[in-house]
Amino acid sequence: MRGQKSHLDPDVLAEYRAGLITGRRGRRIAAHLDGCAECAGVGDQLAELSALLAALPAPVMPDSVAQRLDAALAAEVARRADAERAGADHSRDRKRAPRPARRPTLQLVMMRVLVPAAAVVVLAAGGYGLSRIVGVQSTSSSAATGSEAEPAPSAVPSAPRAAAAPASGTSFRAAAGTQKSAFTVVSSGTDFLRARLASQLEAALGALAVPASAESPSAQLQACVQRLTSGIKPGIPKLVEHARFQGQPAIVIVANRGTGYAAWVVAPGWVAPGCSATSAGVLDRTTF
Amino acid sequence: MPGADGPPSDTELLHRHVAGDSEAFGELFLRHRDRLWAVALRTVGDPEEAADALQDAMISAFRRAGDFRGESAVTTWLHRIVVNASLDRLRRRAARPAVSSGDEQAFEALVAQDSDPARATDLRLDVDAALQILPPQQRAALLVVDMMGFSVADAAVILDTSPGTVKSRCARARARLLPHVAHLRGNRSASESVSPAQGGDA
Repeated sequence: MRGQKSHLDPDVLAEYRAGLITGRRGRRIAAHLDGCAECAGVGDQLAELSALLAALPAPVMPDSVAQRLDAALAAEVARRADAERAGADHSRDRKRAPRPARRPTLQLVMMRVLVPAAAVVVLAAGGYGLSRIVGVQSTSSSAATGSEAEPAPSAVPSAPRAAAAPASGTSFRAAAGTQKSAFTVVSSGTDFLRARLASQLEAALGALAVPASAESPSAQLQACVQRLTSGIKPGIPKLVEHARFQGQPAIVIVANRGTGYAAWVVAPGWVAPGCSATSAGVLDRTTF
Repeated sequence: MPGADGPPSDTELLHRHVAGDSEAFGELFLRHRDRLWAVALRTVGDPEEAADALQDAMISAFRRAGDFRGESAVTTWLHRIVVNASLDRLRRRAARPAVSSGDEQAFEALVAQDSDPARATDLRLDVDAALQILPPQQRAALLVVDMMGFSVADAAVILDTSPGTVKSRCARARARLLPHVAHLRGNRSASESVSPAQGGDA
């Protein structure tokens, strides 16, 4: 084959330009390019293509992806901290008298995770039963409603409809003693849909002022919520609601992220055993 | 605001992370997140799968940070993990029966989520769509070298192959892409320069 006779294949031209063709074959191609405007033009286009690719604006990471990565990273950080703590507990336990490991370990983890909210946690009872609200806005607003607060913060925060509370929630309160959850959980028959998630969530937040039955979260749900929202300040969820998503039972978690809200829809089956480090149980996420 | 010594280097952040600092990895990842997103999205071609790939990669990097030996830059190491995770996703998708013609939906989603000026977005989407006709390995090579600006040597580390193979994949990718992109650019303006910001009737 002699390059001078027919036009160069773009593949060959591209390889030549990449320095992959040298020697006698390279010299033949160079000679052809000197005398063939068409092939030289293709060579120029190849150069322009590379320049075009380099100049192309990068795609913008959607908010939903950023939120999701934040949540996954927070879960991973928590997982590592848990593992380290579990390792430390384990070695300490071996030195001391043995004790039942599982549940106390979980409580220790939770107490640590909840530390930033500890100052306001006991005041959460002030709003308890008065509204669907779940999170605590701030220390000052809690203090402002202090007169309404239960006089004894150490009292068991049993909901009026405690019978409806899941057994795990009850046992958590009993086991945790003074550890009170920073939020409560409401239930609704809402079927959240992927296509309308943000507008449905806005409506759900609007309904927060309406009194509704609320219950304390299970320890597992608290841990999951803390993990999902730990990348967000103040980190206390605005809404935690048992509902449905695309027709299936789901738990909706909404947190204030300053400029708006971040929401997660998670599967109860992921929460019940204590949400794993992977976000496999997160059915959907959005921001609004 | 960085302190007197300036912000910590990537390597410093990675070392802090390995030493147990719970913030360091997040800071490191945030630095490179947008570029890594571009790599994942353009390699995989679908935002949902790209998010999966990037998350896989992030977790993998988090856990395997102790394996980083400093033979390459941290950013090269991160890109390598993201490209691997993205190609893994593509392999898994290829192993599954096709469910939908994802590309069109994917790019519609991209348009919807984008905040770029419309014209730049148009051109970008044209090129991004054209990129998807390339075989994954060629696309990844072209992406890393031409779009992300890595040297052939660094690209060889990222793609876990030889510099010669990187060059050859890039060459074949450029030749294959050329008719598509030339055609797209021809629609826009006959004497168009390479600048994506320039358009016909702006």
